[in-house]
Amino acid sequence: MIKNILVVEDDVVFCKLLTRFLDKNQYRTHDAQSAKKALSLLEKESYDLAILDYRLPDDNGLHILETIKRDNKVGKVIMITRYGDEEVASKAIELGADAYISKPINPDELLTVIRGL
Amino acid sequence: MKLSISPNVHLVEPGDFEPADHWYPRALNSNIHPLVSTFLNLSHHQIAERYLRLNPKANLDAILSILKYQPKYFRWSGTDMMHVTNNEGNRKLTLIETNSCPSGQKSMPLLDFNYEQGGYRRLIEETFKDMVDQHDESGALAVIYDKNPMENIGYAATIAEVFDENVYLAQFKNEDTDPPVQFRNGKMFVREGEDHWVEIRAAFRYVTQEPWNRLPKNSRTLLLNPIEACLAGGRNKEVASRAYDEFNEQFKDKGIEIFTPKTFRNIPYHQLQSHFDKLGGSMVIKVPDSNAGQGVYTIINQKELDVALSELASDPDELYIVQQLIHSNYNEGSHTKDTWYHVGTIPDNKGRSYAFDLRMMMHATSEGMRPLAVYSRKSRFPLNQPLPENMSSWEVYGTNLSVKGDDGWSYADERLILFDVRNFALLGLGIDELIRGFIQSVMAVYAIDQNAIKTFDKEMSFN
Repeated sequence: MIKNILVVEDDVVFCKLLTRFLDKNQYRTHDAQSAKKALSLLEKESYDLAILDYRLPDDNGLHILETIKRDNKVGKVIMITRYGDEEVASKAIELGADAYISKPINPDELLTVIRGL
Repeated sequence: MKLSISPNVHLVEPGDFEPADHWYPRALNSNIHPLVSTFLNLSHHQIAERYLRLNPKANLDAILSILKYQPKYFRWSGTDMMHVTNNEGNRKLTLIETNSCPSGQKSMPLLDFNYEQGGYRRLIEETFKDMVDQHDESGALAVIYDKNPMENIGYAATIAEVFDENVYLAQFKNEDTDPPVQFRNGKMFVREGEDHWVEIRAAFRYVTQEPWNRLPKNSRTLLLNPIEACLAGGRNKEVASRAYDEFNEQFKDKGIEIFTPKTFRNIPYHQLQSHFDKLGGSMVIKVPDSNAGQGVYTIINQKELDVALSELASDPDELYIVQQLIHSNYNEGSHTKDTWYHVGTIPDNKGRSYAFDLRMMMHATSEGMRPLAVYSRKSRFPLNQPLPENMSSWEVYGTNLSVKGDDGWSYADERLILFDVRNFALLGLGIDELIRGFIQSVMAVYAIDQNAIKTFDKEMSFN
């Protein structure tokens, strides 16, 4: 059962809109706009789900995914890829992501993916 | 809503407005103070007549003509003012700056609980929509911004509802090397996909950091506000100061004037010390195109001046604005009438009184300029306590809430004072101060807009 979610995405507005949407759907959310902030949050808390953007200002989402899998701090992972980037998507699945979703993101579709995990 | 249709662009759809996303929680759950509500509902005639009782030498027709003025360029604005008094107890609201992308909606209690989108909708419906309806260009609608996502998502969602069409919400940062917003021959385009750009007919603009680097003059895409409003003084304190002087000259026999702290313009670096000495050992230094409290130095002693001079030394060719400091209890001026002090907040139960500013957001409607949102911000350290050693005077005089951090801009909203039932009384302001503040603000908008007309209409006819 997914209850708390970490959203890692460098676009502040994206984070704000998505976390608000998830909050309204009864999830508890934290957000990070950089890999550094995400890793610091992961040191303090475990999450049921991480939604990771591939492109971050200081690293990429795949590296965070590797860390998450190694440290076992997150139950499930959804990778956000750029506009049909199949290569990143397949790499993410290979590294243990549970799903991927391509931008643009319709929050309702993302909710369906989360509920299906 | 579709998130990230391209990097830093989202598509906002009708029905996306969520009040909790566009107000601070404490503003959303507040009740507007009845006095503020009364002020916001006053007609132009009531405001002008009352102002005349407060300033018997003012000319009624001149006040009314300014209140009913239709700005050509500067149709949405905000001013920051301070409540000051002199040694004779003569209280005034002094204009500190005028802003062409003012924040304020997220801090404003709802005027009418049945009007859920509050000031967002009033601005879009009564100002932006009329402008767009009269603008003969094709394309979509957009909100472009570089700060304040809370309000800008709110504006995008309101525009989507009012026009019943999707709105592109695009971040347009100064430092972005591949921005999702482009101008081609004066027309704006927003990136929708990898190589697909959408033409924009009109955009609500909240681009604050050196916007002249990115926005063209004579934009074919309608902008609220266009860059001309910034260049004529909406984002340059030196140009604004000149516009205020011209206004005061024009209206000197009408008994009205824009009141600002004594101001010296175009001061070179090497003359800052002599101005400090001439002003009695205190002053404010401003970088002309700074904003959000950045590039403003309050100076109360030689040590603070030395710190400012060392920071400013990196740009020796800059010309600065120097203003007379508005004083606290512990830093006094020497002249009887021309020295101004912060009136400050009503002392709290520990006796502390703080400097505060008054932000007044206004918009141009079919009937003229109307107030839209008001709030105040207080300083961190009280006026009536001695400044601890090594504490900067900015802590006493600085009221701006914008804080630039690693993750972008944030707001120290604990110093925000809402104009609600609980907090408004703490300011010690009455309806007469709000009227005076509004008249000061409208005069400033008039001055800057007239400056824009004088500067850019002539330039356009020359071209």
